[in-house]
Amino acid sequence: MRLSSAVRGSRRKAGLASIGRLLLTGGFLSFALGPVVWLVQMSLKTEAEAFRMPPQLLFAPSVRNYVELMRGPFLGAILNSFKASTLTTVLCLALGIPAAYALARAQLRRERAIRVWILSSRMAPPIAFALPFYLAFRALGLIDTVLGLSVVYLTFNLSLVIWLTQVFFEGLPRSLEEAAYVDGASTWQAFVRVTLPLAVPGVLTAGIFSFLIAWNDFFFALILTRARAQTAPVAIMGYESFLGWEWGKIAAGSTLVMAPSLLFALFVRKYLISGLTSGALKD
Amino acid sequence: MPALAVLTAVSILPFIFLVAVSLTSFDLARPTTWTDFSAPFAGYRRVLHDTRFANSLVVQAQLSIATVTLQLGLGLVGALLLNVRTRFVTVLRILFLIPMVLPPIVGAIIWKVLLAPEISPVNWLLGVVHLPQPAWLAHPRLALAAIVVADVWQWFPFPMLSVLAALQMIPLELYDAARVDGASSPRIFRHIVLPFIQPTLYVVALFRIIDSVKAFPLIYVLTQGGPGTATEATNYYAYLQGFSFGFIGYSSTMALIMLVMTFVLSTVVVRGLGRAVEVE
Repeated sequence: MRLSSAVRGSRRKAGLASIGRLLLTGGFLSFALGPVVWLVQMSLKTEAEAFRMPPQLLFAPSVRNYVELMRGPFLGAILNSFKASTLTTVLCLALGIPAAYALARAQLRRERAIRVWILSSRMAPPIAFALPFYLAFRALGLIDTVLGLSVVYLTFNLSLVIWLTQVFFEGLPRSLEEAAYVDGASTWQAFVRVTLPLAVPGVLTAGIFSFLIAWNDFFFALILTRARAQTAPVAIMGYESFLGWEWGKIAAGSTLVMAPSLLFALFVRKYLISGLTSGALKD
Repeated sequence: MPALAVLTAVSILPFIFLVAVSLTSFDLARPTTWTDFSAPFAGYRRVLHDTRFANSLVVQAQLSIATVTLQLGLGLVGALLLNVRTRFVTVLRILFLIPMVLPPIVGAIIWKVLLAPEISPVNWLLGVVHLPQPAWLAHPRLALAAIVVADVWQWFPFPMLSVLAALQMIPLELYDAARVDGASSPRIFRHIVLPFIQPTLYVVALFRIIDSVKAFPLIYVLTQGGPGTATEATNYYAYLQGFSFGFIGYSSTMALIMLVMTFVLSTVVVRGLGRAVEVE
């Protein structure tokens, strides 16, 4: 009898603890997501509605901000963002995958060197990269070009791509390639026909990472582009002027810019943390 | 290997270039000065007496210490909170990824929307509960606090999800064994949980320290370094000198100093990390 009431008591305690836990988790979650939700709902409101406090929770969503945004130069900026991010990704994969494969198969103990290199390129304050690139691009006529921007992004992403794909190649058994050699395949053929198809998940992950990093950048695009090659993150800030902020358009533009980031991040969520800490000097 | 050649070209050359430019008095308004090496250490002498540079270092230090501490603290609490082994957690994990994968400029705009006096829902809420509604971005201390909050918001999921991953690697038998031996929750945390997550905490701290100098979009959007120079961190000040005032040579000097400082700091942290891992 006493035992059962004790059990019930501890159950109630556990129940209270889990309610507290639930509330606290809810608090964390609203802190993380509330601001994002607020921005998205604002992009669907008219200027007058956006300024109204208390905010209306029920309102007729309007896409007017988006339509107006698309009539302006913003569409071109989004295209520039796509071009720069895609070019970066293509360059990184084209240069990085053969390098990663060679490193994985030659069994050179270069891991430490790559880690140090990733870390040091990440350690450098952005301005330390921006200045030399700005000067070099001025001399080469690459200021305000998509190509120039992609070259800068290549600096950060190439090491990351090599790191991420090398791990995948190392996980693939050598025997498959050896079987291909026996059948008379060249090194290149064995790589393209046998190894590469198996490494598709790794290549995709690395590709998405380099696309995301290029897509999310603001600092380098701000310094290295003007009107012609301006990317979307910089173009949003064009709706801030001495007349004030055009809140509706800024909210709509931000929502459009973050959509691909959210989508792509979902695909690589398993590797996101390891990608963000790649090069960490552990083990 | 072509990749290696490209690597060298894109990572070593800029560094050499930066060192060279830092020794000139290059001023965009006077284009011929870019090869003016007549006073190679003028920039370095100037930086020693530049009170605005000294101020920017203080701002940067405050920013880094506050954001990294809060992110690790919140991250740790959040991870312990979410450390339940059910499918439900998988969904939560994905949701918590959202702030840190957003483009930083969008994160900055979000906080501008939340805090700009004319439109701020935060101030409206404060008004509802009869609290003062400060002009967040116009007051020196509050402006810095606003940048800290925005940075913490964007990056606390990183330590949180990293620590959570480490927590879920702890074999459940260890907890059971400790419970059977009558260990209290704080003791379990101290002797079982902490050793497991310590390496992760160090790695995450290292990355957050390195990245804490990259709060540029937040400063650019929320305060532009102001009011006065209250939120002018070093990276932002170097940007102003170089790209607003045109003093590329001087800006390069500051960039180089920052580079060396980050490198030294990271080395110290990595050493600490190495020792902490060895101790186990």
